[in-house]
Formats: sequence, structure tokens, C-alpha cells
Amino acid sequence: MEKKQLGLIRNQRRPKGIVNQLSVNFIHLRTPWVMAWWSASYLGYAYISLGSYVKGFILIFLEAFINVNSKLNMGILYTFTGRFELAKQIVDPDWLLFYVPLYIFSIWGGQQLTVELNKYSILADREESNMIPFKIGTWSIGFLDKRKPWMAVALSLLAPGLGHLYTHRIPTSFYTLMWWMIIAYMGHLLECIHLSVAGDFAGVIAVVDPEWLIFLPSVYTFSVYDSYVNTVEYNRLFDQEQQRFIIDNYQNSDFPMPK
Amino acid sequence: MYIYASFDYSAFLELAITDLEKRGIAREHILAVPLDKRVEERMLLDTIHRADGISLFDGAAVLGAICMEFGVIYGFVLEWGPITWGLIGLLGGAILGFLLDYFYGRIRGHKKKKTTRNQVKAGECNNTEVIVTVFCENSQYEMVQKVLWDNRAFGVGKLDRLRTTMREGPENCGKEAT
Repeated sequence: MEKKQLGLIRNQRRPKGIVNQLSVNFIHLRTPWVMAWWSASYLGYAYISLGSYVKGFILIFLEAFINVNSKLNMGILYTFTGRFELAKQIVDPDWLLFYVPLYIFSIWGGQQLTVELNKYSILADREESNMIPFKIGTWSIGFLDKRKPWMAVALSLLAPGLGHLYTHRIPTSFYTLMWWMIIAYMGHLLECIHLSVAGDFAGVIAVVDPEWLIFLPSVYTFSVYDSYVNTVEYNRLFDQEQQRFIIDNYQNSDFPMPK
Repeated sequence: MYIYASFDYSAFLELAITDLEKRGIAREHILAVPLDKRVEERMLLDTIHRADGISLFDGAAVLGAICMEFGVIYGFVLEWGPITWGLIGLLGGAILGFLLDYFYGRIRGHKKKKTTRNQVKAGECNNTEVIVTVFCENSQYEMVQKVLWDNRAFGVGKLDRLRTTMREGPENCGKEAT
């Protein structure tokens, strides 16, 4: 009964999303300038957040590669602390100019994609096509569930990527966890925290590698923001899906209404 | 007899309904009405360019990231080092961003709407979201009620036609009127 009804009422031209083993990928309304900002803070973050993973991973990989090779972060550090001569010396122009087109594309593209997907998100809401909220396979189990947004935030603060593991967004989680661990190790983050807590600030400066440490703020804040938004939106998607299921199955015209 | 219960959207709602079906209540005798929340409805009318209702978190995250970045950078030349200044930047920026969003929203007159949506989205208010009606025999009342309560219904009520008719039957009503 339910299948027949679904086929008639819904169609599948504008799906809201799909539940998969590794992730629940779906579109929801977002603020375009915020997405543009995440791309500005780290190439490709807008794409990762929007669920456009392949594009996101290409940009993110290139960002890390170009940034480390051109010593861009050192250049940023010297520039903002007024040591312009040092900045000119350390930055490698052979690599630096690769950055410009990618940077512009990433910001523009992130903003553009958000605007486009917002339209399709509205269309999907109006079409109300059904989705299957549970997917089990050989490697993993993906499903919609009600989760706590502040738990995602707390986990992301503990280690970026854990929040995404909690919401079952595994591609983002995998990338963020790995990249965070690489940055933390190369930049001697944990040693620096240890020394900072002990109050040995001269030791911090001696030990730290700024080229790597300057990556951290965007990785941290992005993973907190993205996992929070994910949790909230997944919860809403859960509601939406269950609402459609109830309307399709438990509003039978044969129900004996009170007379 | 009719039994009414209110739920929010969760796996428990489906557990309750399927449990009832297993225990012999026909699917046609279960009627569920999801309540539309006004806040959700309004979302669709928002413009594409200022759409997301979580802007209280947007501002905090963006300003937090910017200030943390600068905290780390200037931490290299300031006394307390990059870690301490990075954390100070993150906290300061996030609070500043949150306040800016909050007051900007208030000036624009969106405050009420934003807060409600934020609360709903963060799952902070446990509003009733679905009303479930079950039609069953009087003898099944205990069982149905227990199933509903066990699966986290907010409230359960009953409507017993037989008793109601006896108390407020048409004869009685007529007498009172004259």
C-alpha cells in the first residue's frame, strides 16, 4: 500500500539528499557569504561543507601543497608583524603565484555553489520526494538520527574531526582528523600547549613551527562550525523524513472518525 | 474508544506505532498528524541570500576564526606565545561575533524569529510535533496506554464515546434547554 502511494505522489527529480554508508549527503539552506568565508580561510572548505567532496579534496590538497612549499604562512606571519623584508625573503615566488587563481576560484565558486544549491534545496522541499533513512552495507551503517549539536561542538574542540565522526560524515572526518594530526605534529602543537600551561612562553617560541601552526585556527573553527551545522540540519532532516512517512502511512481514509 | 498521545519526532514514535501494530491494532486504526511548526514554514520564504537561521553561530564562527588566526600570528611577538593568544582570540572573536549577530538581529527586528528557530534547531524545546490517535476496544486501553507511555509520549489521553454519550445524551441536553 505504502509503495503504491509513494510512487504516485512523489517523484525523484529533486531529491533532498541521500543516506549512504559513509555519509548522509544532502542540501539545505546556507548563507552564501559564510561559505565564501570558509573558502577564504582555507581553500576548498566551502566545497567540503557543501558535500562536494571531490572538488573540495582537490582544492584542499593543493592548498596544503602550495602553502607549505611557498612558505606562505611564514610570509603571512612576517607581514602582519611588520617584518616586510623577512617576508619577501622567505616566500618562494615559484610556488606563491599558483595560489592566486585557486584562491579566487575557491571563494567565488563556494559562494556561487551555495546560491545554486539553495535554490535546489527549496525545490527539493517543495517536491517532497521520499528518502530512505537507513543504509546498511558491507563496510558501514549510515542512518539519520537525532543527535546533540553541543556534543558535536565539544568533540570537535577535543580533536577536529571527532564531531564529524559523531554525525557520521566520514569523508570530512577522515580528512580533518588526519590533517589536524599532521599539523599538530609538524607544528609541535601538543608540546606548545604543554609549555604554555607551564608558563614557559620563551620555550614555546623556540619549539613551535609557525609554518604549520598557522594552519590550525581555520581547521579548528571550521570543524566546530561544520559539525554543529551538520548535527542541527541532520536533526531537521530526520523530522522532515519522519513527517512524510507518517503522512503517507498513518492517515488512512478508513480511520473510524469520532462521530 | 479513542486514545490520543503527543510525541516529538524520534525513533521512539515509530517504535510506538509499530509496537501497537504488532499487538493487533490495525494500521487503519492509527491516525497520526504531524504539526507544522511556524518557524519551519517561514524558512522557505526567506530569501536565498540570507537564508540560514543559524546566523547566531555563523558570526561567532567567522569572527572566532579571524581573531584566532591573528591571535596566533601576534602571539609570536607578544609575551604569552601563540597558543595562549590564539585561544584568547578564538574566545574574544566568538563572543564578539555572537553579540554582533544578536544585536544586529534585534535591530533588524528578527530577534524573536531567530531565537525560536535556533532553539528548535538545537532541539532545546521539546515541543509536541506529532499527535497520534488510536482507535481501539475498551479492553485494549491499558495495553495501548502502556505502549505509548513506554515510548516517551509527552502525554496520553482518552476519549470514551460510550461514557460521554451517557452523561451528555441528547435527552438531557434538551431538558436543560427548556
